Amino acid sequence: MNRFSACFLILCLWVPALARADDGRSLTITTWGGAYEASQRAAYFDSFAEATGVEIRLKPYNGGVAPLRGQGTSGKDQWDVLDMTEPDALAACEEGLLAPFDPQDLRPAPDGTAARKDFLSGSFLDCGVVHLVYSTVLAYDDRAFPGDKPQSVADFFDIERFPGKRALRRQPIALLEWALLSYGVPISQLYDLLSTERGLTLAFRRLDQIRDHIVWWESGSEPVEFLKRGEVVMASGFNGRFFNARVNDGIPITVIWDGQLLDSSVWAIAKTSQHQDLARDFIRFATRAENMAALAGLIPYGPMRRSAMRRIGLHAHSNVPMLHHMPTSPGNLDRAIRSDSQWYAHTEAIRQRRFEAWLARSLY
Amino acid sequence: MLALLGTVIGGVVSLLAIGFVESVLWLNDRLLVSPRTRIQHEENPFLVAAATVLVPAIGGLVVGLILRYLVAERRPLGPPDTILAVQTRSAPPSVRSGLLSTLAAIVSLGAGASVGQYGPMVYLGTLVGAVLSRLRLAIPNLQAIAIAGGVAAAISTAFNAPIAGLVFAHEVILRHYSIQAFAPTAVASAAGYVVANVIFERPPLFFVAFEGVEHGHEFLLFALVGVLGALLAIIFMKAILACSAFAGRSRIPQVFRPMLAGLILGVVALQLPDVLGIGKETLRFATIEGAFGIGELALILVAKLAVTVLCLGFGFAGGVFSPALLIGILFGALFGSALGDFTAIAHSGVVPYAICGMMAVTSPVIGAPLAMILIVFELTRSYDLTIAAMVAVVFANLLSYRLFGRSLFDIQLLRRGFDLSLGRGSAILVGRRLAELMHDDFLRFSPQDEIGEALRRLGESGRAEGLVVERDGTYVGVLRLGACLARDGSARVDEAVDRNALAFDETTSVWQAMEGLRHFLGEIAPVVSASDGRLLGVVSESTVIDAYLETVNRLRREENESL
Repeated sequence: MNRFSACFLILCLWVPALARADDGRSLTITTWGGAYEASQRAAYFDSFAEATGVEIRLKPYNGGVAPLRGQGTSGKDQWDVLDMTEPDALAACEEGLLAPFDPQDLRPAPDGTAARKDFLSGSFLDCGVVHLVYSTVLAYDDRAFPGDKPQSVADFFDIERFPGKRALRRQPIALLEWALLSYGVPISQLYDLLSTERGLTLAFRRLDQIRDHIVWWESGSEPVEFLKRGEVVMASGFNGRFFNARVNDGIPITVIWDGQLLDSSVWAIAKTSQHQDLARDFIRFATRAENMAALAGLIPYGPMRRSAMRRIGLHAHSNVPMLHHMPTSPGNLDRAIRSDSQWYAHTEAIRQRRFEAWLARSLY
Repeated sequence: MLALLGTVIGGVVSLLAIGFVESVLWLNDRLLVSPRTRIQHEENPFLVAAATVLVPAIGGLVVGLILRYLVAERRPLGPPDTILAVQTRSAPPSVRSGLLSTLAAIVSLGAGASVGQYGPMVYLGTLVGAVLSRLRLAIPNLQAIAIAGGVAAAISTAFNAPIAGLVFAHEVILRHYSIQAFAPTAVASAAGYVVANVIFERPPLFFVAFEGVEHGHEFLLFALVGVLGALLAIIFMKAILACSAFAGRSRIPQVFRPMLAGLILGVVALQLPDVLGIGKETLRFATIEGAFGIGELALILVAKLAVTVLCLGFGFAGGVFSPALLIGILFGALFGSALGDFTAIAHSGVVPYAICGMMAVTSPVIGAPLAMILIVFELTRSYDLTIAAMVAVVFANLLSYRLFGRSLFDIQLLRRGFDLSLGRGSAILVGRRLAELMHDDFLRFSPQDEIGEALRRLGESGRAEGLVVERDGTYVGVLRLGACLARDGSARVDEAVDRNALAFDETTSVWQAMEGLRHFLGEIAPVVSASDGRLLGVVSESTVIDAYLETVNRLRREENESL
């Protein structure tokens, strides 16, 4: 009996047991919508529901800690499992909004390697487990630039060479790094410099130069829509959405990997959840190497398990090799900014305050 | 053998230097010194303000206690001690002192004192070199080679600049070129670079993009930056010396001096956080066009200079290198910005002026023009910037050499009584006491002796002179054969004695003796105790000359030694 059939056998024995335990229950999971949600459905939401008989309810969530604070202990729409960015998870954990997480809960790799060794270092948080790396990137509409093409973050801020509207997320995330990066600051020093009054001032001053050309977006699917409709010529957005638009929908969008902001996504369980065991079962299921690899075959977000990474091959529908489109692919990694989650988690207030003040005033 | 030694020294020093830097960064993060942690507590402004004032003050107290009670020299050790040990071939301060001084430097830098990290790193290299030179390896001049290797590795690790490390060790520490020292120093420097860059992948200290110098006339401006930078450097160095002297004279106990400096630094930092610590953020901003207004640049420049002088003068442990870099780059940025704002002179942006200013101020302070030029080259990998910096550095060093001296280190050593400006031969002879060459093979007379008796004894021994000493050992003078012959045999020695003959005391150095013997006619010179006037012994002219020749020959051998 080879390893896979062994695993299959274990799965067959384990899943019915799980199903009996939680029969007729439901689990509320937050989701970021769009292509990402569709890929998650295909990779593990549906199969989990099928295997366990648990009804999965998806609730839209666009990040932040604030929406969690409003979660009561009762009510039908109460969130159980959360798919959060790492900084949000760290901040929410410190506020006591999340249940503690024990990495022992996670299943070993198909070859028997313990989860602790199989996950990349830094994956285990006090209140959750990092499951994938996504990236916030800049991208442009190929149709808008038939000649010279924008290739760097500095080009994004160059209105003269690359005229047209730009879509940016209406959050102080990534845009401050990019603004400062456009001055030629080395990536390794970005967060040190952004931590000073001078660094913030410089970043907002750069943003001021393109203020009249910015179109703001809030949900992850909007930048693709804006580009598709020709409302903007460049946009920031999540790399998976841009990939999906290009490969699945044939929209001519090209990603600028320069200055991509690498961030991690975390599975966490709300402290107020009434289904703690079931929530843990779901995370155990979603972080199985096969399921993580299945997601990576649909949308190019890098899985945090080595065993899952080894399984990444071609895109499920178009046969595009997925590895090249992963934010963690070596060629794309050269000029990547690794988001400092601790910094993000602890600077939310000042970033929001300064960002809102800048939005309100035209002078900086 | 030498190559192996170089590799070991380079590897060990590099690891220690990385450990040193990491410890400082760790402390900076824990103690709310680094902006990156300060901003994460900005919702608690009272905590940040309290940390800003108290951390340097308490850090200062700890440094004061360590230096006063644990370090034998009662002061932080640094490059001057390294230079002295190598130049005069004397033993450096003890390992215990070195380690504790390094600890004091970690606390100083960790608590945000406005001092440099490279001086302590250079001393760390010295320490490793000194320890390894105790091994019984059959290598001549081992101590100098091992220490130079350690220093080269420290600089190589700190700046990711192996060539500059090699040159720095030669220019500042060895001060001569021999193939015997060159090879192991180069190997140590390379080993340090490999450990820091290839194994640990330390990020480069500095990175600037520069398109090139656009106008020929700008080289004149670079030279001007060099001249003005030298003047600024001289002000900086004189202020440090004056502040140390003031602190020494003041009634403030040594233990509390760094604490006081830390307190003042903290209060200044409440308004100007840029002055805290090494200031690598400020260093970076200075190369960004428009990051500072001109007034702001001038204010931070003056404030940084003042608090650095205060911190160093009042006894924080740390170097002058990093503050000089920061002061210099602010000055250069100020020059570049003023050029754009107040004149119509075409120029290629603020970057080359910032870099030129940085090197023009730093190079005179540490006395290493060639190493500075190479640091620019290795850090920026820009040929244009290197040429620009070279022009500035050359003018800066020329002027500062004339008006001040070779470096701050040399002047600090001069104040401790070691003059390196006449070459290391004189420094070694200055460090060597005449007392070592003393003997007691001479004719001794009493003032009451008869001249006839004295003549007889002189004749028997075949000598032309003897010394006259009281019964209690007090020295009186020299009795010469000629003076005896001119007098009656029954007269007393007392009448013939030459009381103004050349005499040395126990503190006289071989160098001073050489100077004194210049017009000396005679065989022996007395060495007389400076405190009670008793005769300690004599030195003969030939022993002093022998000692001089021996030193000069040994140095010539060292400087021409091959592998």
